[in-house]
Amino acid sequence: MPYLYNTPEDQQAMLEAIGAESIDELFDPIPTELQLDRPLDLPPAMSEMELDRHLNTLAAKNRHAGQVVCFLGGGCYDHFVPAVVDAVASRSEFYTSYTPYQAEASQGNLQVMFEYQSMIARLTSMDVSNASLYDGASAAAEAVLMAITATRRHGKIVVAGSVHPEYRSTIATYLENLDTELVTIDAPAGVIDPDQLAAAIDDTTAAVVLQQPNFFGCIEDAHRVAQIAKEAGTLLITAFDPISLGILTRPGDYGTNIAVAEGHTLGTPMSYGGPFLGIMACDQSLVRRMPGRIAGRTVDRRGNPCYVLTMQTREQHIRREKATSNVCTNQGLFALRATIYLSQLGPQGLRETANLCLQKSRYAAQQLCANERFSLAFDAPTFKEFVVRDAENQVDRLLKSAEAEGFLAGIPLGQWYPELSDCFLVAVTEKRTKQEIDALVQSLANSSSQVPAQV
Amino acid sequence: MATKKKNMRNTLDTQSIFELSKPGRRAARLPACDVPESSIDKLLPSEMLADGPPALPELSEPAIVRHFINLSTLNMSVDTHFYPLGSCTMKYNPKRNERAAAMPGLADLHPYQSEDTLQGMLQILFELQETLQEISGLAACSLQPAAGAHGELTALLVAAAYFGDLGERRTKVLVPDNAHGTNPASAAMAGFDSITVKTTADGFVDLDDLDAKLDDQVAVFMITNPSTLGLFEPNMRAVADKVHAGGGLIYLDGANMNAILGISRPGDFGADMQHYNPHKTFSGPHGGGGPGAGPICVTEKLAPYLPVPVVVRERSEVGGERPGNTNAVSESSASFRYRLDFDQPKTIGRVRAFFGNVGVLLRAYAYIRTHGPDGLRRISENAVLNANYLLSRVTHILPVPQGNRCMHEFVASASTLKRDKDIAAMDIAKRLLDFGYHAPTVYFPLTVPEAIMIEPTETESKETLDAFTEVLFRITEEDADLLHDAPHTTAISRPDEVRAARQPVLTYRAE
Repeated sequence: MPYLYNTPEDQQAMLEAIGAESIDELFDPIPTELQLDRPLDLPPAMSEMELDRHLNTLAAKNRHAGQVVCFLGGGCYDHFVPAVVDAVASRSEFYTSYTPYQAEASQGNLQVMFEYQSMIARLTSMDVSNASLYDGASAAAEAVLMAITATRRHGKIVVAGSVHPEYRSTIATYLENLDTELVTIDAPAGVIDPDQLAAAIDDTTAAVVLQQPNFFGCIEDAHRVAQIAKEAGTLLITAFDPISLGILTRPGDYGTNIAVAEGHTLGTPMSYGGPFLGIMACDQSLVRRMPGRIAGRTVDRRGNPCYVLTMQTREQHIRREKATSNVCTNQGLFALRATIYLSQLGPQGLRETANLCLQKSRYAAQQLCANERFSLAFDAPTFKEFVVRDAENQVDRLLKSAEAEGFLAGIPLGQWYPELSDCFLVAVTEKRTKQEIDALVQSLANSSSQVPAQV
Repeated sequence: MATKKKNMRNTLDTQSIFELSKPGRRAARLPACDVPESSIDKLLPSEMLADGPPALPELSEPAIVRHFINLSTLNMSVDTHFYPLGSCTMKYNPKRNERAAAMPGLADLHPYQSEDTLQGMLQILFELQETLQEISGLAACSLQPAAGAHGELTALLVAAAYFGDLGERRTKVLVPDNAHGTNPASAAMAGFDSITVKTTADGFVDLDDLDAKLDDQVAVFMITNPSTLGLFEPNMRAVADKVHAGGGLIYLDGANMNAILGISRPGDFGADMQHYNPHKTFSGPHGGGGPGAGPICVTEKLAPYLPVPVVVRERSEVGGERPGNTNAVSESSASFRYRLDFDQPKTIGRVRAFFGNVGVLLRAYAYIRTHGPDGLRRISENAVLNANYLLSRVTHILPVPQGNRCMHEFVASASTLKRDKDIAAMDIAKRLLDFGYHAPTVYFPLTVPEAIMIEPTETESKETLDAFTEVLFRITEEDADLLHDAPHTTAISRPDEVRAARQPVLTYRAE
């Protein structure tokens, strides 16, 4: 049912004011031959109750993270969302407002954007943050475009093979028509070899793209990579995990020039992968090349401090084809959720959350690998994810059998890395309990005893 | 002068959150570590450890709630105010859609779960693909893009791949001068040169100028129809034929689909590609600037280039669920299986991680299912009725250069007022805030001087439109000085934007 107010009498009065005979007449400007001469071929309308029932039926065909224990990661994680985030973010004045074009009617949103930018800058030790982009992968691609214009180097982008495969794929798509080559440095040891990276960089290289911790959960030698990038006059783009910064060195502290991240982990549920929060922060010198909305502090005509959208001359509605990007919104609601989340955790809460991820994932790795069938694929230290190698090379069967027992046990890696087709990626967040981890280990062990070893 | 509301706001709580912080305060309590714990510096190399946690503010939970809730009261929103922001389709956001999208079986899903554990979700997404195709009259759909502008970029990359496959290197994208700024920006990002096509005084595509600019280098003509002036392009067919004759493609900017649901289909009027803004047309809450989504639909010949994955439906191989049951009802969903199809050799790849902005898409699905084909048509009928009614009243106050009829929105001009009384579009916009109305879009499109772009949407009543008109009239009769200083009742008024841009303060610093 449409959400309409106007009664037939209202409609009649309105038509009279317009001077039209009927509503159909209002569509006369559309040439008849371009009008649809039949109803849309769609199912008839449902009532609210029927919709509820229909969606409940469909939802019941899924198995969600409340029913199965989720050890899946790969850029999307089952982190805890405090109740205060939902309570505040569902407030209508946040939820049903739009881009703050009218500062006087949007000070709430603008101040939140400013506080979000301030928290992201502190989280990352970067100079400035924008008010967010679509997601981590598109933020990485935007960072690459930004690096190309900032350095005026159009030759190539060097990306670590340990960067999320879907981020690399997104970057490749964005570069497709721009004559810039995307060079990938493989990471057979789970991390890249900085010397190999150095050899791939030349004076046409606009940026190096690193992920820390990387897609395999491993910690890269980011200091060394940053040093190499700096010496080569190329920019370092780092895709970071916001939760990890409760304990890990912040991207700005090892020389990152543009830091990007998937920020859903800061208070937004998994939602089948979106909508999410693209975080981007950068050096002060790059701010006028940054895409997306930015809020700034200023004063109003009475001298009161206030907030506005600023540096809009970067943006598409002013600069059109000369804009830094075509992005014209931020992910306002999720920037808000991240701001609430970071306020709720505070420095100690973020540190404790990061530590729980680290401790529990190490425990899980240790327990899993106590079974001789399983081993860690890489020696490099990890944060909250790790790659397990199955000596029997039965990853799909193994994960299927765990799924039947109520565990989303891991992500098979063969789809992106054929050489790792005997491996899967396991993520352990602060939400996982010892009991759940032990049960997973037991389930995988049972599976291994059921599956006859391959000769 | 509007009556001033008594200010009951606690100004302490709109201080910066950093000023409310005090060392040692905290809100979250985390569980004790239940696994054997090692010291962090034994687990990780010391050079990769931060000296301490980041300098986030330290607050109690009540303080956090009060801070943000008080901030929220400084916003106007659709739930609290009439919000006729042209081009943004600020309609009511049905609450039932929120409940639907929050169901754990739809919200707590990981994108890398197996397809076996996602059959309900994949069915919804498949049906939404089919639904968007039917509404647009186009053959294929990708739900992946994250916003309308992202959909534009994706479609232009699809076009580039298509021409590349034909062995053609086309370098130009044509964009009318009244188009959204995202159009030329998307063209530039996709590696094209953006060429502006003029519109006539009536606001339509200038066919002579189009002819002059059409050549074999033109890949795509991007058109917004109904246009940003709220007009249906009368020469749409001719424009499409001209572009197609030269081998080019028509891209429809679908920002204004709210005017033509079930009435006219882009595929039928010549579009080869289009994006939707489901947060506008299908009523997702705008969230203070996002999330949106930007699914695209394309013709058959462009389908192979769409991003991967798309959802496909197959006859289930699993027999025996209901053996022997042959009646039509059992043919329903039980006999289908849904899967993600990555196997598209000509795909442009990905434009983001994971499937898409599923939460927004779920709301669109719920919205479409509760409206059905008749309801969708009634949305557009009433959106157009409301806009025409408002136009019929506003035109007596402010001239509407493009005439006395429109589709879902119209653009008035304050240029006469500006000349005669020194009252600009911005003054009117600001003064409307004093009366509890969000301002219309101003100074867009660029082709109308002192533009005031008004889109009432179908979810507003005649009473609201009447009251708005009366206020608008009253404002135009007011003293110019009063308007130059407007708004008078909001927490702040007329921020110094020049200072903000020239001396940027983008992060909090203690003063």
